[in-house]
Amino acid sequence: MGKKMGKALVVGAGISGIRSALDLAENGYGVTLIDRETYMGGILSQLDDQFPSNHCGMCKMLPLVKRDQSSQFCLRKGLFHENIDIRLNTEVVAIEGEPGKFSVSVRKKPTWVDPERCVGCGACETVCPVEIPDAFNEGLTTRKAIYLPVPHTIPNPYVIDLAACNHCGECQKICPTQAIELSLEKRKEFYVLVVDDELIVRDSLKAWLDEEGFSVDVAESGPMALKKLSKASFNLMLTDIKMPGMDGVELLEKAKESFPDLCVLMMTAFATVETAVEAMKTGAQDYLMKPFDPEQMIAKIVQVYEEIEAGDVQSLEVGAIVLSGGTAYFDPTESKNIYGYRTNPGVITSRELERMLSGTGPTQGRLVKPQDGKNIEKIAWIQCVGSRNVQLDADYCSSVCCMVAIKEALLVIKKNPSPVETTIFYMDMRTFGKTFQRYRDSAEQEHGVRFERARIHSITADTSTGKALIRYAQIDGSIHNETFDLVVLAIGQRPARGIEVLSKLIEAPLNPWGFIQTEALSPVTTDRSGVLAGGSFSGLKDISESVMYASAASLEASRIIHAAGGSLSDESFSEPAFQDISKEEPKMLVAVCNCGNKYSEHLDEEALTRQLQQDPCVDRVVFLGQCCTATGWEELTGIIKDRRPNRLLIGACHPYLFIRKLRVLGQQIHLDAEMMDVVDIMSPIFTQTQNPTNQLSAVSYRLSALKMGISRLKNMDPLPTSMQPVTRRALVVGGGIAGMHAALAIADHGYPVDLVEQSDKLGGNLLWLHQTIEGLSLEPYLNETVQASENHPLVHIHLQSKITAAFGDVGNFYTSIENGDGSIETIQHGVAILATGGNEATTSAYGHGTSQAIMTQKELESGLAKGDVDPQKLDSVVMIQCVDSRQEPRNYCSRVCCPTSLKHALTLKKANPKIAVYILYRDMMTVGFTERYFTTARKEGVIFIQYALNNKPRVSAPTKTNTPLAVTVTDPILNRPLEIEADLLVLATGMVPQLPATLAEAFAVEKDQDGFFLEAESKWRPVDAIKEGVFGCGIALSPRSIPDTIATAGAAAQRALRILTHETLSAGKIIASVRHSLCSLCEKCIDTCPYHARHLDSNLEKIVVNPAMCQGCGNCATACPNSASVIQGFSDHQVLDMIDAAMESNWPSLSIVSPGEPKS
Amino acid sequence: MDDNFEPTILAFFCNWCTYTAADLAGTSRLSYPPNIKIIRVMCSGMVDPKYVIKALLEGADGVLVSGCNPGDCHYINGNFKARRRIKLLKEILPSFGFEPERLRLTWIAASDGVLLAETLQELVAQIKTLGPSQARMQLVG
Repeated sequence: MGKKMGKALVVGAGISGIRSALDLAENGYGVTLIDRETYMGGILSQLDDQFPSNHCGMCKMLPLVKRDQSSQFCLRKGLFHENIDIRLNTEVVAIEGEPGKFSVSVRKKPTWVDPERCVGCGACETVCPVEIPDAFNEGLTTRKAIYLPVPHTIPNPYVIDLAACNHCGECQKICPTQAIELSLEKRKEFYVLVVDDELIVRDSLKAWLDEEGFSVDVAESGPMALKKLSKASFNLMLTDIKMPGMDGVELLEKAKESFPDLCVLMMTAFATVETAVEAMKTGAQDYLMKPFDPEQMIAKIVQVYEEIEAGDVQSLEVGAIVLSGGTAYFDPTESKNIYGYRTNPGVITSRELERMLSGTGPTQGRLVKPQDGKNIEKIAWIQCVGSRNVQLDADYCSSVCCMVAIKEALLVIKKNPSPVETTIFYMDMRTFGKTFQRYRDSAEQEHGVRFERARIHSITADTSTGKALIRYAQIDGSIHNETFDLVVLAIGQRPARGIEVLSKLIEAPLNPWGFIQTEALSPVTTDRSGVLAGGSFSGLKDISESVMYASAASLEASRIIHAAGGSLSDESFSEPAFQDISKEEPKMLVAVCNCGNKYSEHLDEEALTRQLQQDPCVDRVVFLGQCCTATGWEELTGIIKDRRPNRLLIGACHPYLFIRKLRVLGQQIHLDAEMMDVVDIMSPIFTQTQNPTNQLSAVSYRLSALKMGISRLKNMDPLPTSMQPVTRRALVVGGGIAGMHAALAIADHGYPVDLVEQSDKLGGNLLWLHQTIEGLSLEPYLNETVQASENHPLVHIHLQSKITAAFGDVGNFYTSIENGDGSIETIQHGVAILATGGNEATTSAYGHGTSQAIMTQKELESGLAKGDVDPQKLDSVVMIQCVDSRQEPRNYCSRVCCPTSLKHALTLKKANPKIAVYILYRDMMTVGFTERYFTTARKEGVIFIQYALNNKPRVSAPTKTNTPLAVTVTDPILNRPLEIEADLLVLATGMVPQLPATLAEAFAVEKDQDGFFLEAESKWRPVDAIKEGVFGCGIALSPRSIPDTIATAGAAAQRALRILTHETLSAGKIIASVRHSLCSLCEKCIDTCPYHARHLDSNLEKIVVNPAMCQGCGNCATACPNSASVIQGFSDHQVLDMIDAAMESNWPSLSIVSPGEPKS
Repeated sequence: MDDNFEPTILAFFCNWCTYTAADLAGTSRLSYPPNIKIIRVMCSGMVDPKYVIKALLEGADGVLVSGCNPGDCHYINGNFKARRRIKLLKEILPSFGFEPERLRLTWIAASDGVLLAETLQELVAQIKTLGPSQARMQLVG
């Protein structure tokens, strides 16, 4: 198959890294996905439940087409994809080259346990004497030095935390498979030079490092150190900064000149920390603080040893790089720790609470007080801890914490066994996204969450009860004291750990807040060409936006690789050819893992073989020592090659572990992996040894599980995959910035695009928007994009045109376009992107339309640009936020209005500093980095007055012309009405979508209650419609800023490209088919299909299933009254036979009465 | 009632949530009874009522159907469809001679290994109290 080639590197395997990697893999590129942790999933591996469902749903990110290339199980458990090479515990160490041809060095750190041999039995953990806080549980529990980093992933080999390990060797002795490779011998070859003018420092360091097994030498001065370096080879130098004569920095510079590979750690007292940080810029790896805490110091040196000595450095050739490093979180113990975190036991962070609420957490999801394990009756959240705080260098809003707090409050209410009072203390409740406001309202009104706008004075321990005592000031200045069982600090996001180093490595600067700098109007593009930033690495984003930004980044990466004509890949992505077994009788090999004879008392091999071989389809039963290890697998492969079965059943533990191995095996032996299955015969046995009271024998359990497996597999039909041809052409509706961006992205990949715009001009809202809040002029950008669209040979622009009808499915839509001249044109296309945008809402509130002095923000923008509004003639301007919005029927935040009002307030102030500007608001929604304009506006003297929904401002029209308006508002600080004279009243009315009903119906797009494009899943599939092949972007989805709009357009284009890159498409092996002879055309299956994958073909008079859309959920088969709908792999025949097998082995002596079963 | 009665329970677990929870329970070495025979299905909405009735007729003392939490279904809304079907099925089970308690529908998320183990233990205890299925005893004579 003529697939595109090329490779990409994705750095960071959190949710955005996974999204980017899957995007690129689905486009046919080879992807290397790395993460410095030993597990995937990033922060989300710690969080069970997310807004808005308050559950999970991560698996919905997995491919929907060509599903069989990737894993098809819970994404928390793990991921694989044929085109993705996942490397964990791996970091980038060097990047060279240019877009299309990068050479990247990555270093894999050792885990000291061979994953190919570790069977996860956990024996090592029981003998390890070390106990340290478990980072996965945020320190709420302890773990051993040898441990499982995450409890739930597969494969899940143990790893050793070398810094914590005391080298007692007990784990090595007990490991049944000799998987642990912990040797101190190699450390002797690691030479360390300690340079310090103080003898006691030199001696004690030498003693500690000797004890750790390193080879150590010392020097008392810079010149002496240089001399020693020239004589012998050293791996690491530790040098003091303050030394007489040559100081540490000079020594560093000289040493690096002669020995550029030498790793140097600076040793510094508090006074010279800044010098040490400077030294890192000239090549020092890190610094150690004096006085030394031996444990921490040794840990750091061991870490350096692991990284530079024991690590395995490999080079990758890639065309583009996506950085998905995510974020770190604020540590409340940093700086003044005003909330008593870690000193007051009643104070925890939001991340700790997430762990407490998690099924895999320290209390298995039961919420209890950490102090005494008792139930919680009263709990509070404190917002903006470490964000929106200029003193902490965080003049930004962390963007996620408000929704996290509301979600956590609802989870606590749901999970707590007794009623619980929940209170959220906040500054502004930033419910800025789609459905956020209604979620908050429901929390408040239906679930009783209390929202308290307050300033926290302190949190102390109540002397009588020991509970956490919050002292807070309400907005009117009144002081209150209130006790809580638990206080949760909503800690803000911070730049990812190590981002400075990576930034230097890739030569891409950071922004003023320490996140990676991206371009203002290309929000995933860094300063280093060919290096993209996805997810929250470039700023503060929630899951939904991270996913969109990840797709936007992978789109740009794909563009670069495509433009470079990249064929760096040495792999060919051809469809595997399987042997045709459709005419063969089932010949099954049953391989049973006996787990190294560990559970031999539960396994009578001869009897089991006899029982299983009663079924004639069983060719042979074999027993393997350890199926999950490399040796066990080789043994199995050997037997298969010898016996050549056409069905393979494995009885082992953890079936998901084998899925990828089966795919690879299938390709080796040319047998479709669908003809292989794994059944769990171990799980109940693992625990039965602990719980021998249960009288049911494990032998019977195993026999039954295997017989059920045989029943399913022998009835598996070896069907070829149905394919759907794809018309490789796209339709984009809406010629605004989102539509143009999406169209260009698709056209740049070589596919024709029809761009349909209803007006006579491309540009949408950018035609009237003149500059961004950052002060960037939009006109050049708009002109450039319009010209690019007009000049692109593959973009066909239809102006003054609209869609009148469309039918068809993914791959083949037929759409009628009514052009400006009234002619109708029908085009055939594979995908459709709806980018129909939205407008500022019209209003009649506050007297709009009755006076020229009352205008909307859009009218002000035009007025300022045209000169109709002259700041010099104004003395006083009042702006009212949330006009008609954030209340029913438009109960959503439009997100752009607060920044727009600030933009205009600052513009007016700049033009005429004497203007008094008042902004009357409910909650200032300056999310992310726009917070700084809120800060600036306050500094510039803009006056902000908060008003309540039930006490809105009132506007009195002037009695005489040319006199000011009177705006009355109740000031909550003074608690009395204020009357403000205003020359100009500006209303922020919010945005309304413009998604025509006929268009939505044509593509089976559902609208939400506010008329926006309803996405398939707000977090995991944020730009997809439920119907495959239809996507939405820009304001049609929900109101957002220009950069965010551009990102959604990129994401939609990326989702579309994953379809267009294929000539023919299938969803996967497990799909539905129709037995037309049994079908009565009742169409129940069409109604029940959640994916719109079925329709009645009126010509054929048959129900037709689109194989690229069917996801194999089987709901059609259940709904079908005639058993005419059949799911491959789960046919009635298979399931009914499995039920027989399950029951038969329980009652072997009885003849079974069974109802008549349909023969399929 | 026979104190030694060990019920047989047939469980249909959805591939995305509950089957994963069962796997987690295994990894975490959580104790759950081997009375449960698990059939992995892609979605709880895939469980045809005839499977449940067949299992009961063939000697299952209880049937458990478990899928993703409401709102979480990998297939958008299959679990809601399952809920409707199971509710109806419970209504007609007495006409086959089976107590409706022998059929249960639960939602168990992938990270809830503990909940899974507890649910199974509790279900086995409940079915033990209910005793062997009388209808089945009559049918198989």
